[in-house]
Amino acid sequence: MTSSLPATFAALGDATRFAIVERLLKHGELPVGDFLDVGPLSAPAISRHLKVLRKAGIVEQRVMGPRRLYSVRPEAVQSIGAWSMSYRDFWQNSLDRLELALSQESGRQ
Amino acid sequence: MSVLTIERRFSAAPETVFAYLTGNRNLLEWWGPEGMSLRAEHLDLSRPGPWSSSLVNAEGGIHKMSGEVIAVEPPKFVEFTWGWHNDRDERGHESVVRFEIEPADAGGTRFVLVHSGLPDEDSVTNHGKGWTSALRKLERLANP
Repeated sequence: MTSSLPATFAALGDATRFAIVERLLKHGELPVGDFLDVGPLSAPAISRHLKVLRKAGIVEQRVMGPRRLYSVRPEAVQSIGAWSMSYRDFWQNSLDRLELALSQESGRQ
Repeated sequence: MSVLTIERRFSAAPETVFAYLTGNRNLLEWWGPEGMSLRAEHLDLSRPGPWSSSLVNAEGGIHKMSGEVIAVEPPKFVEFTWGWHNDRDERGHESVVRFEIEPADAGGTRFVLVHSGLPDEDSVTNHGKGWTSALRKLERLANP
């Protein structure tokens, strides 16, 4: 599944969903029951939020027997990172790649 | 408006570094952060005149950019303008990038990047207002 950044931001623009994503990034894969304390919400309400996050491509679901486990798709966070990156990070990151390309070039000679 | 300066030293010769800084095929190997790829399009910084390209992220999102090479003198410097295009292909704020190189010890190269005319909002795509701190938090969690 792919997602667009506007869809990603729309999905994250909700405190409960943001808290869910934060918790998943901190702990890795989690079942729905582990989100019941993110707000005064019922299990079905949490499930609806997870569904929104899945539709936006931020979260993915894995079925393990009777349990459904949720995790963040790394690509979604990587896209956000690139989008909000500072110019300094942009260039430092680019110049690291340039240095690598140059060393490979000298290896060929 | 602000100016960003970054200095680096490379063990490669100035001519080689200059080729990587300005040539189409070479630029594709490094311009843009890890996880993003650059499209060839009209990307040649080795001669004065217009250039354009796009950065494509892991999700297939496209960020178009364009500008003009103002001055170039191999293997010493190249200076070009840079503006991002929005979804409606309207070109936004323009900044100026200058790559300067000079010979260094042991046949190596001293490289200086000067990126001027940057908007004060320090985000590459310049629309991170309000989101930036929350996003940084997510990023930190994602890359411990």
